[in-house]
Amino acid sequence: MARKPILLNPRRIKDLRESRSQRLLTIKSVRESIISFAGLSGKPVSNQNGSEIGRLVDVVVRWSQDSDYPPVTGILVKVGRRVAFVDTDRVETFSRDSVVLSSATLDLRDFSQRPGEVLLGKEILDHQLVDVDGVQVLRAADVFLAHALGRLRLVGVDVSMYSLLRRLGPTRFRSTATPEKVLDWAAVAPFDEHTGAVKLRSTHQGIKRLRPSELADLLEDLGRPERQGLLSALDIETAADAVEEMEPEEREALLRESEPEVAADIVSAMEPDEAVEALRDLDEDERHEILELMEPAAARALGNLLEFAEDTAGGVMTTMFIKALPSDTVSEVRSQLETHRDHKDEIDGVLVVDEVGILLGEVSLFDIALSDPGQAISELISEDPVVVEPEVSIEEVAERLIGSRRFSIVVAVNQRPVGRILADDIIDALSPERGRFHFPRLLS
Amino acid sequence: MSSATPKRKFSQRGQRSFGSRLQAATTKRRRPFWVYLVAAGPGLIAANAGNDAGGIATYSSAGSQFGYRPLFFMVLVTIGLVVVQEMSARLGVYSGKGLAALIREEFSIRLTGLAMVALGVSNLGLVVSEFAGIGAAFQLFGVSRYVSIPLSALAIWSLVLFGSYRYAERIFLIMSLAFFAYPLAAILGHPDWHRVATQTVIPHFIASNSFVFLGVALIGTTISPYMQVYAAAGVVDRGISPEEYPLERADAVGGALFADIISMFIIIATAAAIGGTGPLQSAKQAALALRPIAGSQAVNLFAVGLLGASALAAAVVPLSTSYAVAEALGVERSVSRKFRQAPLFLGLFSVQVLLGAAVSLIPVNLITLLIFTQVLEGFLTPIILTFIVVLSNRRSVLGDAVNGRVFRKVAAVTVVAIAGLSSLLLIQTLIGWL
Repeated sequence: MARKPILLNPRRIKDLRESRSQRLLTIKSVRESIISFAGLSGKPVSNQNGSEIGRLVDVVVRWSQDSDYPPVTGILVKVGRRVAFVDTDRVETFSRDSVVLSSATLDLRDFSQRPGEVLLGKEILDHQLVDVDGVQVLRAADVFLAHALGRLRLVGVDVSMYSLLRRLGPTRFRSTATPEKVLDWAAVAPFDEHTGAVKLRSTHQGIKRLRPSELADLLEDLGRPERQGLLSALDIETAADAVEEMEPEEREALLRESEPEVAADIVSAMEPDEAVEALRDLDEDERHEILELMEPAAARALGNLLEFAEDTAGGVMTTMFIKALPSDTVSEVRSQLETHRDHKDEIDGVLVVDEVGILLGEVSLFDIALSDPGQAISELISEDPVVVEPEVSIEEVAERLIGSRRFSIVVAVNQRPVGRILADDIIDALSPERGRFHFPRLLS
Repeated sequence: MSSATPKRKFSQRGQRSFGSRLQAATTKRRRPFWVYLVAAGPGLIAANAGNDAGGIATYSSAGSQFGYRPLFFMVLVTIGLVVVQEMSARLGVYSGKGLAALIREEFSIRLTGLAMVALGVSNLGLVVSEFAGIGAAFQLFGVSRYVSIPLSALAIWSLVLFGSYRYAERIFLIMSLAFFAYPLAAILGHPDWHRVATQTVIPHFIASNSFVFLGVALIGTTISPYMQVYAAAGVVDRGISPEEYPLERADAVGGALFADIISMFIIIATAAAIGGTGPLQSAKQAALALRPIAGSQAVNLFAVGLLGASALAAAVVPLSTSYAVAEALGVERSVSRKFRQAPLFLGLFSVQVLLGAAVSLIPVNLITLLIFTQVLEGFLTPIILTFIVVLSNRRSVLGDAVNGRVFRKVAAVTVVAIAGLSSLLLIQTLIGWL
C-alpha cells in the first residue's frame, strides 16, 4: 500500500474507495468461509433433527505426508460427562458455530489418540509454533479450518493480539474469525506434545533453509521440549552451527538440558574455539561428562585449550588451521583445502611450516587461488605472519591485530603454531555483553 | 596435518534405555556436600527475595507488636513456603517452561488472563513497597522521600534501559547483605530464649483482629507470587533437567528454609529490642533491632541494607512482570532480544516503575504503606497458588513427578488455609466498615 501523501484528487478518492470496498468484501468472504477453532469449541453438536447431543470439545486432525494442510479426521464431543469421538464421515455440516451430525445415533466410543493424530485444542492452540517464513516463535491465538481439496482441513494459524482479545471477550463474538495476522499452515512448524518432534515434511525443508543465526534465535525462544524437538530435526553440523550462534546463557542451558550424548555430539561438531567457550560456561563435572563422551583425540584437544585462561590468546584461539610444507605444491594445498570445505568461514590462509613444525610464513587464500598449480607454496610467502604466545592478553592481541591490519593472527609456542585467532573472535571477546534480559543470577 | 573435528551421527533423544538413564541419574551427580552450601541456586535466590523492604517492615512490625508470639505462625508459613517453592521448581524442571507459558497452555485464555492480572497487580504492589523502602532508607540519611523516590525511579529506569544495570545490581546486592546482621543481632540482643523456644514450638494462634491483618501480611511477604514465577523461570533459564532434580529440590527447600530462618531472626531481634511497643511506627524504630551488633551505627547499617534490597527488587520485579506477560502472549522474543525496542514491554516496565514510585509518594506513613502492600500480596497469593497446585496435580504436565496423594492434600490444605485467612481479613474489614 502506498504510504505517500495522498492528493485530494476526486478520481483517486473514488479509486481508493473502490479498492477499499473490494478489500473489505474479500475479507468478509474469507471470514465467512473459514472456521475459527477457538470460536467453534464449546459450541453445540446436534443431530439431524436439530436437537442438541452435546458440546464440541476438540477437533482431531491427522498429519499427512501428501498435503501441507492436515485433514480433520473427527471431533470430540462431550455428551453428559463422557467425551466421545465422532468420525468426520458422520458429520453432516461444519459451520462457524455449530456442528450437525448425519446419523441420529451416536456411538459413544472412547477416544484413544492414534499415532499421527493431533488434538487442535489440547496440542496446537496456545502452544508454541515456529513460523518458518518469518523466523519467529509464536503462540497460536486461533486455528483456522477451511474446506479445501474436498475435505475440511487445518489451513492457518492466527497469532494476532486481536484474536486473543476476542477470545477473552463475550462468547457470542468468539465464533467470528478475525483473520488479522494469519500464517499459512504450510509455513508453520508445530511440535508434538509428547516427543517435541517437528511433524511436517515440508516444514523440515523450510527449517533446513534457515541460517544458523536464525535457528539460534528460534532455539532461544522455545521451551525445552520444543527446543529439543527442533534440535533433533537438524543434522548435527547445522545444529552445531546454530548452537555456536546462541547467547552464552542460552547455550549453557541448552547443553545442560540435553542428553549428555547429544551435548557431546554438538560440542564435537562445533569449531574448537566455540566449543571451548561453551564448555567453559558449564560446571566442571558437566564438562568432564561431555568430554568423556567425545572421541578421545577431540576431547584431548579441547581439554588442552581449556587449560588456557579465558582472557588470553590461548583461551580464544581456534586450533582449526591448515599447515603446509614449503615443498608442497599449490595444487596439493588446494586439495587439502577441499577437505576442509565445511570450515570455510574459519580459514583465511595457509601456514607454511618446516619439517619440525617451525613456522616459516603465511600464504593467503587469494594467492593460492591465483597461482600456478605446480608452483611450490614456499614461493608465495609474502609477509611475516603476526605471531603471539598463548599467554598474551586479549587486549594485546587486539592491539597487534589493529597494528598489522590483518584478519587473523597466529598463536605459537616456541615458533610452532598451535592455533589461530580470527578478527571476529576478538570482536566477540571485547564487545560488552549483549543485552538480553535474564532473571539475574545474583550470587552465582 | 590439521586438527580435524570429529563428526558423528546425531544421536536421537530417547535412544538410551530407561535402565541406563536411571543409572546415569543415580551415579552421575555425586557432588561434594559443600556444593549444596555454596551453589546459590534459583530456589535460594527466589525465596530470599522475600526479605526485601516489605518483608523487613512486616517482620519488624510483627516483632514489635506481638513480641515472640508470631514465631509459631511463621513456622506454619515456612511449611507453606517450602511446599510452594518445591512445586514451582518442580514445574520448571520437568516441563522446561516458565509458569506463565504453562498457564497459557494448560488453562483457558480467560483463566490465563486472570492469572496475569493477579500477577501484575501483586507485582505492582511489590514495586510500590520497594520504592517506599527506598524512600524510608533515604529518610534515615535525612533525605526527603519526595526527592529520593522520583530520582531513584529515574535512575533505576535508565539503568535498566541504557545498559549498566548489571553493575548496579552487584552493588545493591552487596548492600542488602547488611540484613545478614540480624541473626547476630538477635543473639547479641539477649532475647528470652525460653520464650523464643516455647513460642516457636507450641502451637497457638493469636485471636485478635490486628493479628489477622498482620498474619495476611506475613503470608503475603513470605509467599508472594513473584517468588514462584522467579523460581520456575530461574530453573528453566539454567537448563536444569529432571536428572538433576534432587539437587534442585535441595536448593528450593533449603532456600525457603534459609529465608524463613532469617525472617524469624528479624522477628526475634526486633522483639528483643522493642517488643511490646505496639505496631512499628518508623524505620528508625526498626533499626533499633540492629543496635546490639552495630551500636550507634545501627541506623546506618539498617538504611544501607534497606536501600540495597529495595533497589535490587525495584528493577527486577517490573522486569519479571514483563517477562511473564511476554511468555503468556507468546512473544518472548520481543523481551529477550530487543527489550529496548519493544514498545509493549518497555511501556509495561515504565508504567510499573512510574506507578510504583507515584503511589509510594502518597503522604502516609511509609511503614503503614509497606505493610499494606504485603496484605495485598496476601490476598493475591492464593490465586497464583491455585494455578500452581492444579498444574502440579496434572500428570499430563509433570508425568511421574506429579504430586503424590499425600502431597496433594498438603498442598490443598496450604492454599485453603491461606485463602481462608485472607477471606477472614476481608470479612473483618467489611464488618469494620459497616
